[in-house]
Amino acid sequence: MDVTDSINNVQQPAVQSTRLAPVEFSGKGGEFFGIWIVNVLLTIVTLGIYSAWAKVRTNQYFYGNTAIEGHRFSYLANPMQILKGRLLAVALFAAYTLSVQFFPVLGLFFVFGMLFLFPWLINQGLRFNLRMSSYRNVRFSFGGSYGEAFMCFIILPIVGALTLYLAMPWVMSKVDEYIHSNVRYGDKQLNVKLQTGEYYVTCILVMVVMMVGFTLLAIVVGGLAATSAAVSPDFGPGMEEFAALMNIGGIVFFFGYILLICIVSALYRARIRNHILNNSEFEQLTSFKSSVEVMPFAVLMLTNTLAIVFSAGLAIPWAKVRQAKFMADATELEIDNNADAVIDTMEEQKASFAEEAAEIFDVDVSLG
Amino acid sequence: MSQLIKGIYYLPKRSEALEAELHVNGDMVSLHYDGQCREVFELSTLTQHITIPGVPIELSFPDSAKFSAQDPDVRLARTGATMESLEKNKTLIVASMVLVPVLMWFMIMVVMPLIAQASVSYLPDVVSQQMGKQAFAIIERTMLEPSETDVEVQNQVKQQWRDTLVALELSPEKYRLHVYGSEFLGPNAFALPDGTVVITDDLLKRLADKPDAILAVLLHEIGHVEHQHSLSMVAQSVSTAVAFAMIFGDIEGVGEILLGTGSTLVQSKFSRNMEQEADDFALNKLDALGKPADAFAQAMESFLALSEGEPDIKLLKYLSSHPDTQARIDKAKGFKPAEK
Repeated sequence: MDVTDSINNVQQPAVQSTRLAPVEFSGKGGEFFGIWIVNVLLTIVTLGIYSAWAKVRTNQYFYGNTAIEGHRFSYLANPMQILKGRLLAVALFAAYTLSVQFFPVLGLFFVFGMLFLFPWLINQGLRFNLRMSSYRNVRFSFGGSYGEAFMCFIILPIVGALTLYLAMPWVMSKVDEYIHSNVRYGDKQLNVKLQTGEYYVTCILVMVVMMVGFTLLAIVVGGLAATSAAVSPDFGPGMEEFAALMNIGGIVFFFGYILLICIVSALYRARIRNHILNNSEFEQLTSFKSSVEVMPFAVLMLTNTLAIVFSAGLAIPWAKVRQAKFMADATELEIDNNADAVIDTMEEQKASFAEEAAEIFDVDVSLG
Repeated sequence: MSQLIKGIYYLPKRSEALEAELHVNGDMVSLHYDGQCREVFELSTLTQHITIPGVPIELSFPDSAKFSAQDPDVRLARTGATMESLEKNKTLIVASMVLVPVLMWFMIMVVMPLIAQASVSYLPDVVSQQMGKQAFAIIERTMLEPSETDVEVQNQVKQQWRDTLVALELSPEKYRLHVYGSEFLGPNAFALPDGTVVITDDLLKRLADKPDAILAVLLHEIGHVEHQHSLSMVAQSVSTAVAFAMIFGDIEGVGEILLGTGSTLVQSKFSRNMEQEADDFALNKLDALGKPADAFAQAMESFLALSEGEPDIKLLKYLSSHPDTQARIDKAKGFKPAEK
């Protein structure tokens, strides 16, 4: 009797202490198209000034259509902040480009100086981005320091290069760890435990796929070349056909290359995003689940790219909405039922120069 | 005008939320939750968040509390014309689909080059001088070797150069000709914005018995400097890059490759335009010096011989920095001098 009792006891379901909440994205391609095309039109007409408003409106569309348990996200930036930031960033970019072109030697010093500026830019960018994001009236924030950023973005990559890139996966895991473990939601810090092994496995997979992909591509394009050689045994009457086949070969290579990039990109981004989110949690609040699948993601990227190419760019808004929906569908939260209310502890912040500068110099490092 | 808006009320600076209602009556707004009226505000003390189509309105209270409407389509009655109405206006959207590509083409192919070239003429001389000097320092170190051409031949070329400068009333202090060997460049000639012109041993060898052809090449290079082509190219590429960045922002992945390709194609087109301008300059000056335009054709023919035997891959011509060589020869052969 004891035995059966204890078996029955074991089979009682435990009281649920958490609940699952999917991330919901309600944006529509058609709706966003209107916003996007008017943005582009006004940006061109105002010689770029409107781009600050365009950015705020775009972000507010995507944030405002992303919800968890019926509560939507909010993007709080003020277009004037962004505009000031952009103007300063453009000035910096112009100064850099001009000095590199006109005064190549001076340019070298500029580049060196930028090395020391980048960690600050990245930090400020992350800080601003997060600071302007809010969920349930509580803002996010970023807590990383200059020293940590300098280590992560300058020193470690150099170390990685010195080890003939063998240490790069480790460096990449350190970078992701730095960024994500300094994310705060109100008074809660994001707890992140990343495994370096996952990065190594992913990088090896990426390299294998690249090698296989390039080999296949070479075989296909090489086959075309061989065919063309058969068609024109000497460079005489067969030149036309040869040139035509070379043109076709070029096109095949171009599309094959895009396909390969999509697959490799999807492979890395899906695995790493899944790994980071699955190993992150706000203690006593929520943990995350990410289930992005590689092939569907690769297909998404490929179809988006082809659509953009063949629509001369008009498919960009549709592609962005599609991607947001795809990512949201693959993301869930596991929320603690006993979570207390989160408190917003942050102060106001001023300019967004760093974020804009970071973006123009393409050091915008994003989350997830 | 009275409105009742259902939504969610978030406590100040906290993530706690309550189902609530806002009753908007003219200038006054009252907040209701748990069945009671809790607070009354003047509408002007509330900040409304930017309204976007498809996203519900949000209002912030003076104490940092927030109200978010339930229905994404509800808007405050007082709201006048907004960006939103533009973004939902079907006529404008359809019109934009045509306007945007047209305007973009206009900006990139017409307006920005004009601005770039106009601004270039305001640049002080010191800029072209420095640019030329610093670029030459690097080029000399990396691509050039001491000339192996006969000293006599070099002197002849330099004398012809000096005579030409005098005849065309150009400054010999500014325009300095150098002869170098260059395995990297092969038969070639180039000009830097400060007036430094270099011609390589291999090119001199190729055109050994055609001094007029050498002259044609040198005039082409002078044309580049006179028209400030290097500076224009830089100004133009910087402004295009900035414009692309501003308009498209940060597009991940393959989008960047496409933008870069587009940018390269635009640059190549400008490069070809400038080469044509330099060709015209050379042809006109040859005529002014009483030399036959055929001299230019001869120079080009020697380049044509170089590319013989290579297949003509049509798509590559869009990436080419120079116009098609045969086209340049044909132009020289059919050249009529510009009206004086």
